[in-house]
Amino acid sequence: MYNRNVSPSAKKSQPKLEWRSEHTSKEKKKDSHSIPILCVDCIPLFHGTLALAPMLEVALTLIDTWCKENKYVIAGYYQANERTKDFRPNQVAEKVGARIAENFSEAAMIMVDSTRFTMGCYEPILAIYDHHENKWKCRDCNVDSFEDWCEAQKITSALLEGRSYESLIDFDNHLDDLRNDWTNPEINKSVLHLC
Amino acid sequence: MASVSEMYDVTWEEMRDKLRKWREDNHRNSEQIVDVGEELINEHASKLGDDIWIIYEQVMIAALDCSRDDLAWTCLQELKRQFPGSQRVKRLAGMRLEALEKYEDASKQYDSILQDDPTNTAARKRKISILKAQGKSAEAIRELNEYLEQFVGDQEAWHELSELYINEHDYGKAAFCLEELMMTNPHNHLYCEQYAEVKYTQGGLENLELSRKYFAQALKLNNRNMRALFGLYMSASHIAASPKVNATVKKANVKYATWATNQINRAYQGNVTNRVPGC
Repeated sequence: MYNRNVSPSAKKSQPKLEWRSEHTSKEKKKDSHSIPILCVDCIPLFHGTLALAPMLEVALTLIDTWCKENKYVIAGYYQANERTKDFRPNQVAEKVGARIAENFSEAAMIMVDSTRFTMGCYEPILAIYDHHENKWKCRDCNVDSFEDWCEAQKITSALLEGRSYESLIDFDNHLDDLRNDWTNPEINKSVLHLC
Repeated sequence: MASVSEMYDVTWEEMRDKLRKWREDNHRNSEQIVDVGEELINEHASKLGDDIWIIYEQVMIAALDCSRDDLAWTCLQELKRQFPGSQRVKRLAGMRLEALEKYEDASKQYDSILQDDPTNTAARKRKISILKAQGKSAEAIRELNEYLEQFVGDQEAWHELSELYINEHDYGKAAFCLEELMMTNPHNHLYCEQYAEVKYTQGGLENLELSRKYFAQALKLNNRNMRALFGLYMSASHIAASPKVNATVKKANVKYATWATNQINRAYQGNVTNRVPGC
């Protein structure tokens, strides 16, 4: 049997990403509904038990601090479930999403549908949920939800072919060894390089 | 595509040794195991001696992880030929059926192992894994509890059960499992730290204080456990901020939190090559 305490299992990984968003307007958020939210980066959190509070709180705090330093805001939460066929938001996703929504009303919750995943990334496999009246409602996600789907598809596919995920650092990796940088500067460089 | 030996300039002996290290450390870096193992099997099988059988097993499981049924099948045939009637090989055949999502067939395979050997723990645990894969958490939990009544010393099983309970948000029962583990492994800082996390998640002043104590204990057992350090900081801070504590308790916890902050800062400073964000 594999000892899960030792190393992350590729099969079990549940990358959780949070979206940071850069406000395109310099004004204070008065009429935020007219400003489209653009998510510009994401930070993977954990691969393992998600339903425990302390490390999640630590992660949100550190990431929030870092966001403020860089004029970003945490704009959403992203989750991929352990079982491929399970793509519905669970209690963890809803709770974290709600927490983020407390600080950012337009927060989105994003679930990955792994059953439709392909190395070519030809179609978006995300389901985007918005928070309305304490419930999460799924909105239509198509190529228009992305700034530039063609570029995104090309870059993502190239990163997958090149196995860049082998060097992906999440918050769990950071807690295992502080030298691991959860902002993933190398991968971000590769993304820019592929643009 | 270049071979592994060409790309990394390694000899077949080094590849074999790498596989052994990954086996010993229980690494589940399946893509790498497939890359290295497949080449070793295809190009150097005759040199591997008796090692080849355990390599076939290791590569087969990695191949299942990577959906390389072709490779898994090849390894399985070699093992079947060499060890006809082996329970261990039967279990591997079962795992292949699981990977193909043929859960009923896999279950039958494990049942046939258990008919011959009712104490075969591996087969029983695979059956529980099937339930987990199918999302049948309640049943998996029930079966695992039954298993543990018989095999009460199986730590891996206790840990798996604690995870199942955590995923169901049944923190009380998860704590019980971790208590079992801590009792039999009093020096294991990971169990201590996980127990503290469960207590923290349960919430309430009593649980927070307990969590702080166990984070501290984990740190005593391993002073480089960052989760324990952060946990100590978080729990002490929450206790200090609680309106229900008296001034003495508040003061003590502020002291613990401050100490933890200093330790955290030291830990980050000792590791800064690039600036680490947020701390």
